[in-house]
Amino acid sequence: MFPLDSPWNISFAGCGFLGIYHVGVASCLVEQAPFLVRNAKHIYGASAGALTATALVTEVCLGQVGASIIDVAKEARKRFLGPMHPSFNLVKIVRHVLRRTLPDDSHHRASGRLGISLTRVTDGENVLVSHFNNKEEIVQACVCSAYIPVYCGLIPPTLQGERYVDGGISDNLPQYELKNTITVSPFSGESDICPRDSSTNIHELRFTNTSIQFTLTNLYRVSRALFPPDPMVMKAMCKQGYKDALHFLKRNGLLHFNGPQTDRPLLTNREDEEVAEEEQDGKRREVKDQLLVEGKALMFYGSSSLDEHIIEYLPPTLHKALVEACMERRSLVQSLGNLLPVRMASVMMLPYTLPLESAMSLTLRLLEWLPDVQEDVGWIREQILKILQCVLRQAFRSFSQNVSARLFCQLELRHYRSLPSKPSSTSLFPTWMNSSGSSVQDVFVRLDQYKKQLLSGVLCINMDLRGSFKTGMTSPDSSRSFSFFQQDFNSRSNCLNVPHDGKPGKPLSRSKSFW
Amino acid sequence: CVCVCVCVCVCRWCWVPSWLPPWCPTSQKQLQAAEERMLHCIRAAFTRQFVPISDGNRLWTLTFCSDAVEDKTPVVLLHGFGCGVGFWAQNLDALSQHRPVFALDMLGFGQSTRPLFSTDPREAEDQFVESIEQWRAEVGLESVILLGHNLGGFLAVCYSMKHPHRVKHLILVEPWGLPEAQEMTEADRPIPAWIKALGAMFSPFNPLAGLRLVGPLGPALVQTLRPDFKRKFSSLFTDNTVSDYIYHLNVQSPSGETAFKTMTGSCGCAKRPLLPRMDQLHPAIPITIIYGSRSSIDSNSGSAVRQMRPASHVEVITTRGAGHYVYADQPEDFNHRVLLVCEEVDRSRNEPQEKKGS
Repeated sequence: MFPLDSPWNISFAGCGFLGIYHVGVASCLVEQAPFLVRNAKHIYGASAGALTATALVTEVCLGQVGASIIDVAKEARKRFLGPMHPSFNLVKIVRHVLRRTLPDDSHHRASGRLGISLTRVTDGENVLVSHFNNKEEIVQACVCSAYIPVYCGLIPPTLQGERYVDGGISDNLPQYELKNTITVSPFSGESDICPRDSSTNIHELRFTNTSIQFTLTNLYRVSRALFPPDPMVMKAMCKQGYKDALHFLKRNGLLHFNGPQTDRPLLTNREDEEVAEEEQDGKRREVKDQLLVEGKALMFYGSSSLDEHIIEYLPPTLHKALVEACMERRSLVQSLGNLLPVRMASVMMLPYTLPLESAMSLTLRLLEWLPDVQEDVGWIREQILKILQCVLRQAFRSFSQNVSARLFCQLELRHYRSLPSKPSSTSLFPTWMNSSGSSVQDVFVRLDQYKKQLLSGVLCINMDLRGSFKTGMTSPDSSRSFSFFQQDFNSRSNCLNVPHDGKPGKPLSRSKSFW
Repeated sequence: CVCVCVCVCVCRWCWVPSWLPPWCPTSQKQLQAAEERMLHCIRAAFTRQFVPISDGNRLWTLTFCSDAVEDKTPVVLLHGFGCGVGFWAQNLDALSQHRPVFALDMLGFGQSTRPLFSTDPREAEDQFVESIEQWRAEVGLESVILLGHNLGGFLAVCYSMKHPHRVKHLILVEPWGLPEAQEMTEADRPIPAWIKALGAMFSPFNPLAGLRLVGPLGPALVQTLRPDFKRKFSSLFTDNTVSDYIYHLNVQSPSGETAFKTMTGSCGCAKRPLLPRMDQLHPAIPITIIYGSRSSIDSNSGSAVRQMRPASHVEVITTRGAGHYVYADQPEDFNHRVLLVCEEVDRSRNEPQEKKGS
């Protein structure tokens, strides 16, 4: 029994074109257990799941949503390279469809209830957006959540002044860890509503919270997430979603909570009074049913009589919309284009037509981009500057370390030469270092002077400290310093140096306390 | 493919000199250390030892038995495939407060001996069951509550069929191997040929062969593929303790793993499924089956068991918000449920005695 006394959420996983599965699930929930959707505290979604979540919250006709997804898939399949063809602009289509279908007051319905998972570009963190000021923001949030980098484009879109990309990259199944979240995923695995494959496999992988079992069917599904399958296959997926959701409701004793509602049209525009009335009705039934279920613990399995009069078909509106969307309008031109010689010819011509088409669509895209050029270019410049700064800083750091290390070595050498214990120290150095003329040393001394002038205070202080450390060891006992020196000359080559401004008193005390 | 496997084995065990560093960065010591870290957070006092059984095999056992709860019926925890005693880290404390608890690494898994199992599914099953019985005799338990997860659940049922008087209650957590293999019904969605070919290519290998194949990349692979384990145990550890433990458990020489593969038929079902032979189980043994609501294991077989045993006690519990690893996903709910069931066992045991006394 699903606990209805505490608040619950519904969470839709991101899945690309398999989003049609979510439409099937959503239509089943709306049809068979409307209170489950209406009283859900939050409805979350990532990527394609966000589209269904938005549709559920704003009570858009789900048949229309399903038809739109299939239309987009057909559009993607039309060309040779599928969705990778340059003239296929997914973002534009999605934005257009959303603007057309969403009602004008959708932000009122969605604010606080709808949660869209996004990935912030600046730090890669996940963000759940749930407050929207206008309809356009919902549209933009959906576009951001579905924006798979490279696949959809290169410049991430903006929402409320921040750049975001696909929510599936950071969290593909928002709030799944909450006990009362109903998780919906088109991949068979560990989700409340998901297809159950006949082959059970012990192996499973988690893609940012979405559980995906290692089964052959899942492999097929994953391969179809970004490259849409045939419309008929998509329709079958939708039906599968409906069935799985029905199975979930049955398993949790949620079916027939509001009485059988077989031939009811999908929720489109419902009067408030009706909602209130139904809610009351639902509450009454809930109490009654709860008593019934508690009396007979876990009765929901054996009740096979329940199954029989449930129509295991999609609701008529959705079915009709999908069938219409699947239908190929077979005009004369199209049927001619499907003939083998014509298709072969078009494939052969591809090297010539593709650049032309690419150029065309590129121009088109550039034209469409014009209004955003200023903002985007600014952003790109900012990013490039940031990267350059980072690279420069890194390069400068490594360069300065390198130079200082060599300097210290050289100065060290000079220092030892002036010391009485010269033989012991010189024997440690390779011969080339000893034989190097004084001119090289001069160069290094000069470099050191430059460095002192150039470098910031931090590094200079650092050098002082290192110098003091060394004096402390050389002056009291040369033999100890010798052994010490021998042990880890290599690792400490940049630490051994000479006090260039001579502070003998202080360093000594420091070194004593150190030893 | 079998030839390739044999060749690889021969290369690894005979020709390659032993002084070469191992391909997989693992050893018995590392496994022990990983388990130590897993059990670090347990507050209750316990002992750990190898319990010797026949053929020189030893079963690694954790024993929780405080004086206050000595007279209660002990619970024996049998882990699932690819798991070990460390997986019960979130349950041992709670369970051991109320009754003696024994957790063991099953034969061929974890720190226990990894012998060569028979290639016959029936004999492999018997080997497992026999090892549990010998272990029980060695530890000196009269009767127990058997709690098994996954493969452990399967073996718990098998054990109860053979030694019914030793089992007071069966608790099956997401048991493997209940239903029969079903015909593949892929009518409305045909699978492309390349995917079928890929499936056929991988079928002769051990379930975890890939983990051994990648060698030094293994620990990273576990962390990438199963970040969920870190979250399951996030109340205890924030580092990679769990994934390290999983890695070391599963890359060592495949013994129990091979036996599991022997017992597994097509599409992951058991070759000798339990449902058709449920009548061999003594009707007096009560069963509790715990499922996770999100698990991919079909809980229909639980109700099928209930229908098949109308005269005996069969209870099916679904835990909300839990996947296959119910005891790690929702430890509080799980512990609570199990303790309730166990108390029921002791109550029904005491009742007849009281009647006799009066």
